[in-house]
Amino acid sequence: MMILRGVGRASLALYYWAFIVFLFAPLVVIVVFAFNKSSTPVLPIAAFSTRWFELAFANTQLTGALVRSAAIGVATGLFATALGIMSSLGLSASRLRLRAFVVAILLLPLVVPYISLAVGLLILLNELGLQISLWAVFLGHVVIALPFSILVVLPRLRSLDPALVEAARDLGSGEVSAFNLVTLPLLVPSLVSSFLICFITSFDEFAIASFLAPPGLPTYPVFLYAGSRTPALLPELIAIGSIIIVASLVIVVMAEGGRRWAEQRLIGQTAPAAENVSMLASDA
Amino acid sequence: MVLLLLGPVVLLALYSLNLRTNIPGTPTDYSTANWQDFLTGAGNPFRSRFFYSMQITVLVSVAATAAAYPLAYYLAFHARRFRYPLLLLLIAPFFTSYLLRIVAWADVMLNDNGVVNHVLWALHLEPQGTAVSWLLYSNFSIFLVLFYSWIPFVSLPIFAVLENMDHRLIEAATDLGAGRFSTFWLVTFPLSLPGVIAAFVFVLIPTTGEFIAPLYVGGPSNQLFGNEIQGFFGDSPNWNYGAVLAIALIAVVLVLTVIFGRFLDTDLRAHGAEAGR
Repeated sequence: MMILRGVGRASLALYYWAFIVFLFAPLVVIVVFAFNKSSTPVLPIAAFSTRWFELAFANTQLTGALVRSAAIGVATGLFATALGIMSSLGLSASRLRLRAFVVAILLLPLVVPYISLAVGLLILLNELGLQISLWAVFLGHVVIALPFSILVVLPRLRSLDPALVEAARDLGSGEVSAFNLVTLPLLVPSLVSSFLICFITSFDEFAIASFLAPPGLPTYPVFLYAGSRTPALLPELIAIGSIIIVASLVIVVMAEGGRRWAEQRLIGQTAPAAENVSMLASDA
Repeated sequence: MVLLLLGPVVLLALYSLNLRTNIPGTPTDYSTANWQDFLTGAGNPFRSRFFYSMQITVLVSVAATAAAYPLAYYLAFHARRFRYPLLLLLIAPFFTSYLLRIVAWADVMLNDNGVVNHVLWALHLEPQGTAVSWLLYSNFSIFLVLFYSWIPFVSLPIFAVLENMDHRLIEAATDLGAGRFSTFWLVTFPLSLPGVIAAFVFVLIPTTGEFIAPLYVGGPSNQLFGNEIQGFFGDSPNWNYGAVLAIALIAVVLVLTVIFGRFLDTDLRAHGAEAGR
């Protein structure tokens, strides 16, 4: 019986690691081929080379697309997170009417297919007499990123001890300064998560960008799509791709590790907010 | 924001009923002709494309959920203090670029001279130099890429449910003489069903509107319903007919969401509890 149990456990572990190999294989292969000298990503590996990185960074169309996507991604991350805080505050207010309806509308982009939203936005621009532009891509990305921000910020906001804000209010702090000094510092870990998720959502978004990015100003995914059809460009795209893969893995691991660490610390000590409360106490 | 979300949907509805049009000089009268053609026209190619897409979608959702269950089970019950690092390892690929992962499969892994064929040759499973014909631009490649993309994410809701399960129930079953398999089938699995259904829906809903994977790894006969919509807004536009398909897709997804909504709700609460911890 014990042997059977051991076999079951070992085969589950084997199953898990087999899937890890399956999941990481394409990512590892991209990183390996990024350093391959050959001009086609084909086995066997020819020789170690960094020339594709040099060529990629010298390709202004490629770097331009990366800069555009990074800029739209940062703007989306900041704007959607700010809207996410406001929406979460509104949703956690107890007096809100039609809460279910508002939540449904705000979370709708989680289920509406991006392709439908993309062609709808194209029609909307056309009806308003506006040209497709990177601004339109940015606004489209905010729409799809906002639900992620709310899903990260709202549970954190709800888990805060209301006594902390009450304490600040009792000690004479206004609604705004209570928010700034007590609520906001406690939200910081979730705001960082929200920013990262919104950034990744925007940086990797293809459907909306493919319809709304003007010709000649592609975002990185749009450029990647067109470029991967050009065999001569492929090694450069793989080189940049390897950087993006490694960077996103590092960010995900650090963000998750950092979030757990920060929230445990905050739950354990509620340090900055408590400091601010005691500061208010000394002021009063 | 609400305008940016509802405006497109309302306009799509107007276009689908021919109340607006992008074709200059065409009269705009209320007409359900495009809807009738799509829904009831004999042998309508877009309708059959829709059913083809749904088959792929359901197949991928079932397969991904079934394959993810043992992963979540392993993490929740056997990985002990390593369960969070190992969960992160499993989920991390989901946060790398979706497009890059598809490019990797299309241009490096599955292609005729790609890594997969090289591995098969090295293992003498295929004669040297002969590429497996169905690896790319096939139903197989669409299935594989979508399955691959969703596995990490699908494990999450199942893990959340197993992790939050009251382990005393399992102990009670064991104490009452149930073997390991009957404990699993009579206690653990039924209790984890909300997570399983949530996982299934988490794949089903986004995959219903999928159109990127077929662009890379699908042949002409493996394009999905989303690609048909894309076609109507491309080089030879017919926004009115395209709007019918776009609204139909939204409607299908909303119906699925309403049907499965309460399971998603359960899951969000589980996530909330997890995030709050």
